[in-house]
Amino acid sequence: MPVAASAIYFLNLRGDVLINRLYRDDVGGNMVDAFRIHIMQTKELGTCPVRQIGGCSFLYMRISNVYIVIVVSSNANVACAFKFVAEAVVLFKSYFGGAFDEDAIRNNFVLIYELLDEIMDFGYPQNLSPEILKLYITQEGVRSPFSSKHSDKPVPNATLQVTGAVGWRREGLLYKKNEVFLDIVESVNLLMSSKGSVLRCDVSGKILMKCFLSGMPDLKLGLNDKIGLEKESQLKSRPIKSGKTIELDDVTFHQCVNLTRFNSEKTVSFVPPDGEFELMKYRITEGVNLPFRVLPTIKELGRTRMEVNVKVKSVFGAKMFALGVVVKVPVPKQTAKTSFQVTSGRAKYNASIDCLVWKIKKFPGQTESTMSAEVELISTMVEKKSWTRPPIQMEFQVPMFTASGLRVRFLKVWEKSGYNTVEWVRYITKAGSYEIRC
Amino acid sequence: MAPPPIVQQKSSSPSQPSGYVFFLPSLSVLLLNRKPLRFLIPSYCLSRKSEVSDLKLQLRQLAGSRAPGADDSKRDLFKRVISYMTVGIDVSAAFSEMVMCSATSDIVLKKMCYLYVGNYARCHPDLALLTINFLQKDCRDVDPMIRGLALRSLCSLRVPNLVEYLVSPLSSGLEDGSPYVRMVAVLGVLKLYHISATTCFDSDFPASLKNLMLTDSDAQVVANCLFVLQEIWNLEANKSEEANRERETLLSKQTIYYLLNRIKEFNEWAQCLILELISKYIPSDSNDIFDIMNLLEDRLQHANGAVVLATIKVFLHLTMSMTDVHQQVYERLKAPLLTLVGSGSSEQSYAVLSHLHLLVMRAPMLFSSDYKHFYCQFSDPSYIKKLKLEMLTAIANESNTYEIVTELCEYAGNVDVPIARESIRAVGKIALQQYDVNAIVDRLLQFLEMEKDYVTAETLVLVKDLLRKYPQWSHDCIAVVGNISSKNVQEPKAKAALIWMLGEYSKDMPDAPYILENLIENWDDENAAEVRLHLLTAAMKCFLKRPPETQKALGAALAAGVADSHQDVHDRALLYYRLLQYDVSVAERVVNPPKQAVSVFADLQSSEVKDRIFDEFNTLSVVYQKPSYMFTDKEHRGPFEFSEEIGNLSLDQESMDNAPRFDESDKDLLLSTSEREENGGPSINGAATPGYSAPHDYNSSLVPLSSQTQSEPAVTSRTSFAIDDLLGLSMLAAPAPPSLKLNSKAALDPGTFQRKWGQLGVSISQEIPISPQGVGSLTTPQALIRHMQANSIHCIASGGQSPNFKFFLFAQKDDGSASFFLVECIVNTSSAKAQVKVKADDASASEAFFALFQSALSKFGM
Repeated sequence: MPVAASAIYFLNLRGDVLINRLYRDDVGGNMVDAFRIHIMQTKELGTCPVRQIGGCSFLYMRISNVYIVIVVSSNANVACAFKFVAEAVVLFKSYFGGAFDEDAIRNNFVLIYELLDEIMDFGYPQNLSPEILKLYITQEGVRSPFSSKHSDKPVPNATLQVTGAVGWRREGLLYKKNEVFLDIVESVNLLMSSKGSVLRCDVSGKILMKCFLSGMPDLKLGLNDKIGLEKESQLKSRPIKSGKTIELDDVTFHQCVNLTRFNSEKTVSFVPPDGEFELMKYRITEGVNLPFRVLPTIKELGRTRMEVNVKVKSVFGAKMFALGVVVKVPVPKQTAKTSFQVTSGRAKYNASIDCLVWKIKKFPGQTESTMSAEVELISTMVEKKSWTRPPIQMEFQVPMFTASGLRVRFLKVWEKSGYNTVEWVRYITKAGSYEIRC
Repeated sequence: MAPPPIVQQKSSSPSQPSGYVFFLPSLSVLLLNRKPLRFLIPSYCLSRKSEVSDLKLQLRQLAGSRAPGADDSKRDLFKRVISYMTVGIDVSAAFSEMVMCSATSDIVLKKMCYLYVGNYARCHPDLALLTINFLQKDCRDVDPMIRGLALRSLCSLRVPNLVEYLVSPLSSGLEDGSPYVRMVAVLGVLKLYHISATTCFDSDFPASLKNLMLTDSDAQVVANCLFVLQEIWNLEANKSEEANRERETLLSKQTIYYLLNRIKEFNEWAQCLILELISKYIPSDSNDIFDIMNLLEDRLQHANGAVVLATIKVFLHLTMSMTDVHQQVYERLKAPLLTLVGSGSSEQSYAVLSHLHLLVMRAPMLFSSDYKHFYCQFSDPSYIKKLKLEMLTAIANESNTYEIVTELCEYAGNVDVPIARESIRAVGKIALQQYDVNAIVDRLLQFLEMEKDYVTAETLVLVKDLLRKYPQWSHDCIAVVGNISSKNVQEPKAKAALIWMLGEYSKDMPDAPYILENLIENWDDENAAEVRLHLLTAAMKCFLKRPPETQKALGAALAAGVADSHQDVHDRALLYYRLLQYDVSVAERVVNPPKQAVSVFADLQSSEVKDRIFDEFNTLSVVYQKPSYMFTDKEHRGPFEFSEEIGNLSLDQESMDNAPRFDESDKDLLLSTSEREENGGPSINGAATPGYSAPHDYNSSLVPLSSQTQSEPAVTSRTSFAIDDLLGLSMLAAPAPPSLKLNSKAALDPGTFQRKWGQLGVSISQEIPISPQGVGSLTTPQALIRHMQANSIHCIASGGQSPNFKFFLFAQKDDGSASFFLVECIVNTSSAKAQVKVKADDASASEAFFALFQSALSKFGM
């Protein structure tokens, strides 16, 4: 059995019902209470997102300050249910623009009911694609009252498109200027031991696209990945050009990508949805270029003093720079006083997260920066126990850099009317969970 | 459209003036919410009350208005009504006004109105009738959008006596030109099936759906047909052969290939459904298997994780019989699974990790080189860390043990104490499954030097297990363990482990007797029986090895043990004492026999259970790590959960009174079994049983009586009861042979039982005493079930532990009338009473039946 949700609830952090939608009669009426008392008001909250109470299973997810709870009474497909919630949130966001939180829900509850009606019927997921739903759920989010005049425009064959074969694109789109924006966004995950060896490192990347193209264009994307290049050289029977090729561990594509063609020709070809979407996701574990090296030394001087020394080196190209670099160095709870010396940026002690937070707005490539801090601790009467040091965490964004080395080789747009398009490509690498033990 | 909100609204009595009706129920609704104070600010409520009547007034004014802008003000009003509804305030009073306003062309207004109607129709069937007319009209609208919406709402009213109005719109909906309407109509059939299965079959809807599924051009319509047919045939399969056959045809090669060929037309959710169906398909030969796998391979690259998992299930199940291919499939699946783990929210990765966990446990070898993927991130939630730790433990082998153990040791200092404990246990488990444990033992011993209570505690338990398997390590371990001050060990498990080691290796630990002596001196402070038991045994062992040093301590231990209030401790002390008295060498043989090293520790889950979970891949079973029958079947759930559902249903029946009161069934649901046991007594004897509606004075008159006549079976019915009491009649008289005959082969399936229980009113509800013999025999529910069965009263569900048992029983009249009696019987053995509730198809016979039931119960244990 797939999802077959009996009910779906939106609750705020206090447990007040924001939205409730019962799809089936097979669960009792007091499910919210059960959830509140058995999960929200106990330590159970956060220990496991799937819980069983009295024959019903609760699958819940927290999104900003809202819990979305799906109640099922059968042996449901969990992955499908969570994915459904995640997709539903994406849909809601696309309707009321950006934020999805308690206020947004309160302001748009009629719209949400309307959407819940369409995206799920009798507990079975139906169509969740924002492009299609927007054709016939025309009630605009309260955020943009002035755009409502567009919605008055009749969409003659909306319902024909609702379930059509190319579910993600409407026919008859027209743009004056045909543009494609392509972003490669990578997040680097790193786990480094205190001795400086890399325990685990991978890059999960995604290619985001924004298409403003008329008609039904066919797009073809070429990357410098190994499989694609090998295939190409086979087809054209010429050796692989020198230069770095990237081995992708795993790739997943948006439903618009013709997977059969990817498997046979190793090219990514697709008819894109209109507007913004995620074209593909990939994962790389080999040959990752780490943008930063972190060299921490932490000395505990007696019971009440600590010396923290952190050196950060940027190892990407000298012409590039990183933005919004934040280094969080955990310190013990009983920290009383801190003093800093930094070569760039600003550092301060944040007591609520027990961390020294060092921020550098702009960090050029091939440079290094250090922070040295003295931490004074309140001496405690309790027997001295060795303090377990959580890892140093780091945040950053490096534009025009990919940790994987992935590059776009070409992006071809073909449409029967043969218009010209402008293509834009951007790269950015962000820190995923970048942890250095110390 | 929408069924009733969270709490069941009670229909108000018609005698009350209509202006107030909505308010009273809503008050009780708020009380039921168990968080009443939040809403129950009086001024808020009062203003609400006037607001609702205000709304009504405004709606009425707008109803006929054709003025420009009327729709906008209607929208505002409707919004307010819906928002009250969401919060749980009863706005059903405005029903007729809402219906009057629904004559509009504004689609948003219509939707809000449908939502409102769907929400209240079930509690106000008479008012729902008002809406039929306009819904039917909308079903014939020119706009397919409106046709679809109206049809959906019409099917969602869920009022049984309006079923007749559904059939014709549904049949025309299934043949509608617009796929949107067809899509809605298909699910409408399922809704109809749940209201009235017979109407659904009589109109031959399943056959038309089957036809539609194989011919419709629209993918979503096909998918919905499949949803509906699967659900209907699965539910019907136990009842009829034909349904079973129909279910089989869904899995025929023809249907499967038809769906496979169209799979790319379907949206991601429908693909999940189809893939799930395919995973049940039994391929004819290996070509068949490879064809399907080739066709589906690209699904592994789908962006939707649910589709990927569903595909994985197909692959795994298709290749079950081909060992080598099955292994290749594992290799192929690894990459997509690992990607899925890393993408999406932590809840999503938890769902995926659970599946990965299952696969890792099945074939740890295949994942041994991927161990780095299971390293925990500092920020991972604990439920993810826990799964990862288990996987790391499972995949540890000669080549990666060093790295894995090093990593696990990092977690031992984790801030999250449960995870730290878990990782120490993981190190221990790895040690127990490896041959080369050298390095690991060293690590474990280092833990002991960390001087953290919980680390020490966990490690001690592990060292104990380790010594049982590798006695050769005793020398190294003992040296370190000997240094641990027993004062620093507080947890019973760890203390017991330490004491066990002291006893077992007292020869090698010079001060073992003195440590034991110390512990024995503090015997009275020791709360855990487990520790005291170990203390006794350790003292014995130590005595047998080093008699002179231990003699005093053993004496003290035995004396304290014999005086102990815990039965087991007392018994063990006595046993040792007598053994020593009898013959010391025999005692030696009993207490200190030569031990064999344990080679394998028992696996917690049987392989059969594991295979069942694997069969249910991609469902909750994998997350719960138990097969579905253990959490979906009523019998396997806790004892009180079944009653809770029935309680809920019966409450709907009985709660016609408006008085605010707490929903007891609610309380049942919310208390866990263990809590329930603690206060089980009062709630079972008192009037607090779910749905129990006897007046209090009646109940209190009953209590003294039953305490007087505790051991005698009471033969009473509701009417004669008071008289018997007055006259002080002896209850000893044997029950009169009842005239009623019961069918000894009566059969009733749980579903019907539950439905009947919900529909019927309580005809008799009484507390009857149980004989002491009966109480004595009632060690397990089965005893009573067998006894009642001999009396033609059958059990459908039971559960509980001493002293509380609960039974749902039924019996059938043996006159061919198929009239059933349903009984809920809650037995409390400590008070020797049974709380009996009888519901009957034929209420007039229920007295006779109750007498029969009572006489049967009174003979129990004789």
